[in-house]
Amino acid sequence: MNPILAAVALVVVAGTVVAVAARPPRVAILGLAIVLIGSPVLADPLPAPLGLASRFVGAILMAYLLWIAARDRGRVRGPSPLTGGSRIGWPAEALMAASAFVVGFAAHGLGAPALGSSLSSAAGFAVAALAVSATVTGVDVLRVGLGSLLLIDGALLVRVGLGGTPDQLEQLVTTATLIVVAAAIATLARAALADGAGAFDFSLEGRGSRRREPDAHPIEQQVGDVLR
Amino acid sequence: MSLLPFLLLTGLGAIAVVALRARPRIATPVGVAILFLAVLAAALIRPSQSIAIGTSGIATTEYLRIFLLLAALATLLLAIVAEATEDRGDAPAVALGILATCGLALSLPDARVAVLAATAAGAFGALVTLVPDRGRTGATVGTRVLRATAVSGTMAIAAAAWIGRDLSELAAQPIVFGLAYLAFALAVAIRFGAIPAHRWAARLTDAVPETTLPLVTAIAPAALAIIALAWADASIAPLALDLTSVRFVVLAVAIASIFLASVAAFIQDDIEHIVGYAIVGDAGVVMLAVAALDPEAWAPARIWILAFVVARSAFAAWAAASRATFGTGRVTELRGWALRAPILGVVLGLVVVASIGLPGLAAAEARGQLITLVLDGPLAIVVMLGTLSPLLYYGRLFAVGLGRSAGLERVGWRPVLDRVDLTNLRVSLWNAWADNRNVTATAGAAVLAILALFVSAGAFGGPQAAAGLPPVVGGSSESFTPGESGPPAESDTPTVEPSAGAESPAPSSAEPPGLSPEPSFEPPPTASPS
Repeated sequence: MNPILAAVALVVVAGTVVAVAARPPRVAILGLAIVLIGSPVLADPLPAPLGLASRFVGAILMAYLLWIAARDRGRVRGPSPLTGGSRIGWPAEALMAASAFVVGFAAHGLGAPALGSSLSSAAGFAVAALAVSATVTGVDVLRVGLGSLLLIDGALLVRVGLGGTPDQLEQLVTTATLIVVAAAIATLARAALADGAGAFDFSLEGRGSRRREPDAHPIEQQVGDVLR
Repeated sequence: MSLLPFLLLTGLGAIAVVALRARPRIATPVGVAILFLAVLAAALIRPSQSIAIGTSGIATTEYLRIFLLLAALATLLLAIVAEATEDRGDAPAVALGILATCGLALSLPDARVAVLAATAAGAFGALVTLVPDRGRTGATVGTRVLRATAVSGTMAIAAAAWIGRDLSELAAQPIVFGLAYLAFALAVAIRFGAIPAHRWAARLTDAVPETTLPLVTAIAPAALAIIALAWADASIAPLALDLTSVRFVVLAVAIASIFLASVAAFIQDDIEHIVGYAIVGDAGVVMLAVAALDPEAWAPARIWILAFVVARSAFAAWAAASRATFGTGRVTELRGWALRAPILGVVLGLVVVASIGLPGLAAAEARGQLITLVLDGPLAIVVMLGTLSPLLYYGRLFAVGLGRSAGLERVGWRPVLDRVDLTNLRVSLWNAWADNRNVTATAGAAVLAILALFVSAGAFGGPQAAAGLPPVVGGSSESFTPGESGPPAESDTPTVEPSAGAESPAPSSAEPPGLSPEPSFEPPPTASPS
């Protein structure tokens, strides 16, 4: 196993944990940038310079677009907008990522010899596992958007693990696709941020499910309890 | 390479229109003008050209040309109708982005790369939700669209990558190929908003005007469906594995979409929702083609997709024109609409014929072939009747439209033209446009309906193009490989050189690079391109 690739894989997974667990948008975007910069390197052999350069430049552009959308310049008052962050905390997210990493590493090839690095598959599984929860359970534009971008990136990592290093055209198309997705997220996030005081939150009618009340462990005294 | 002007025009055009969005009076005409140029650029695409980039490349086909031509024409007319009905001014930017990515997706021979471009098309589509007065609501709906696109893209990327390599030592063949096929098929279903993955599409219908619906739920997903068909025919179908259980799931999605979408459209009281569910219902027929897993379904499926894209665009244009003409989109409030505006009645009639089809029309024949390929016995008859179920909601619309009530007045259909003031031409033109918005919308819908009828009948060489090969790098090609200036670099993709004007009836040998089936996986002999 290539130790440098292993280190990059760990950095990518750590970046994913930051991206899905952090509440300040800038921190989450920083985590995403780490993932996007590290992902193309997780290939054995390394991609051709042109493809690699396009991925690096694309990653920086994506992060910058999201950064522009998330900054709160121009807001007159109120706290800085936050994204949803993790509901179960970063340690739990990190453990989930570690589990998925092991699964991806062990399942490398998915039934047949693979052409790429097992670390790429492992990192892809970890990134995708964390991204799924953010994408499916998120109730704000930025969190779901970051989750969607990470989900695609996780699939691309698995693809590199299975099929080997992509050629230059695929790298260029990958970069363009990720930029379009990031630009769409940035536009949507900016639209939400500019509309009132709800930060990046979904509109009420857009929430798929209502938050469950704490009925399992009532914290307020009921009239019956007092009388009893 | 005749595709490059189209890609550059639409890609850079989208960026230009977005850059001008702060000045809508300029952005909209510029967007419409670029869409018009895109129609010309699509018409000038020449088939059987390719360009090698590194070890792969992009290639053109006749079907690519016709798809892009029809899609560009439909989006141009929808943009004009949208502007006339004061629905949207910035939809051209999204339309251009979708056209660029669809063009790229359909020209890439490798499914692993093509699905990326198709995913980008979906991401562009998420932006149609952002109208000026729908900040948070639009962003929420757009995020749902983006989420569906990302999930679909992830599944398609994973499926294409899973079996896009040497699988001679594969341990569990039916399971792996079955799961990969299922993932790709469901990815297509999600992108179309097929039932039960229709929730995001229903929310989208709530938030955006009719004229933008076909962009997101018909044109962009159609590109992914075409890629899926090529991929399945090249990678799954030749292996002749028993995938009955997996195909059953895909078939269930298709049949549920065909029937339930018609029921949903019938009970809706808003024509926007009727258009939305009509698209879902027709997408069910595309899912039937995906479920077929038979090269025989290749041509009918692609004929149906062409007709589907244009017919549903025409239906959306009719809905927008009706809403603008009568000031309401509620079916119950449209009583007598066909009597008041007979031209709109004729337009809807054309849409009905184009989408339902008459025996002998290419689209109707293609749909029938797909059903008989996938099903047999009584179920085939039931599904065949199900594909006619849109007559229910069309019939309801006509019944309401022919209902008489007191005080019905005919809507004027002639253009209103005042004297042109040559000293102030700009104001004169603006007034002429403002006075004729409804007439323009109706005319746009009528042109689209006529176009849909022609496409449904098999005009423009659609059936011949649909029977052609998927894109293959080879033949007349140029090379962008660094350090090369001569003949094109050899691609991993098996090269098939179709002769001009005569294309094979089966997609056959366009396998993804790296897929080298073991001897037992030998694909069936393919028809000669000649």
